[in-house]
Amino acid sequence: MSQNNGPETGPKNTGDGAAWNIVSYLLSGLIFWGGAGWLLDHWLGTKIFTLVGLVLGAAASLYLIWFRYGRQ
Amino acid sequence: MNVANGGFQPPSSADFVFSPFIGNSVYLTKPIALVFLSVIVISVFFIISARKAAIVPSRLQFAGESVYSFVRNGLGRDIIGHDFAPYVPYLFTLFTFILVNNIFGIVPFLQFPAMSRFGFPLVLALLTFFVFHIAAIKHKGLGPYLKEIMFMPGIPKFVYIILTPLELMTFFVTRPVTLAVRLFANMFAGHLLLLVFILGGDELLQGAIGLKLISPFAFAIGIALTFFEFMVQCLQAYIFTLLTALYIAGALADEH
Repeated sequence: MSQNNGPETGPKNTGDGAAWNIVSYLLSGLIFWGGAGWLLDHWLGTKIFTLVGLVLGAAASLYLIWFRYGRQ
Repeated sequence: MNVANGGFQPPSSADFVFSPFIGNSVYLTKPIALVFLSVIVISVFFIISARKAAIVPSRLQFAGESVYSFVRNGLGRDIIGHDFAPYVPYLFTLFTFILVNNIFGIVPFLQFPAMSRFGFPLVLALLTFFVFHIAAIKHKGLGPYLKEIMFMPGIPKFVYIILTPLELMTFFVTRPVTLAVRLFANMFAGHLLLLVFILGGDELLQGAIGLKLISPFAFAIGIALTFFEFMVQCLQAYIFTLLTALYIAGALADEH
């Protein structure tokens, strides 16, 4: 159901917008899951979850970016 | 500058805080005066340039129309697509307002970009935030719009636990925040940079003879940076408007 909405479909998602949106996604991933990890650390008194959260967040953003802009 | 208290005090964020002209109302400060001035400048310029509109445009009319068609065609039509017309006034206002306020940063005697006070870009970013979300809600309806943001088709169900908060945060937090911070930080850093070289050059000029000889270099860099600043100021006005147009285009786009 994705590929037949007219000729504008492609360029809209891969044009200029991509470069800026990618930065937003990367930031969101790091801040959200890094922040969640930090809160968990704060709550449990551990030190590992911030790192786990940051890595998870970065991976999730990259996956999302690849899914949105990288596939052909 | 600060020879009296025995040393150069480097420019800091304190240089961005102005005391009021009269009394202690926070509304009577230089940045606010500059914003009002910018509105007057923009209005007068475009009213005069459009008042005697002719088929063969005068130089002023040509200038006004160039700016308008740059925003309308370059940012509105080419990016938003066929439903761009309702958004042109907003884009145009945004672009000229930010541009003029930024350029005030290097206009002699004014020399302060209002956008280096975080409140101004924040309000503009919030406006953009409401404009593109409302455009999307009108176009798609609230439910489908949220569903489109939160659940990208084609991803395994359990991955949504990780990706949905990410998407929500990108659309509702990161986008307006980065928009405001980008403009603010560029203007803040640029103004600070100019202060460093020009106040520093002045300080060197009042120092020992060796320092006096160095000061022209500081001023030269200050002048070069002023030109560089001009470029950054135009670019940031353009980018802010471009991103607004892109967000609106995303809000009106049908597919996934």
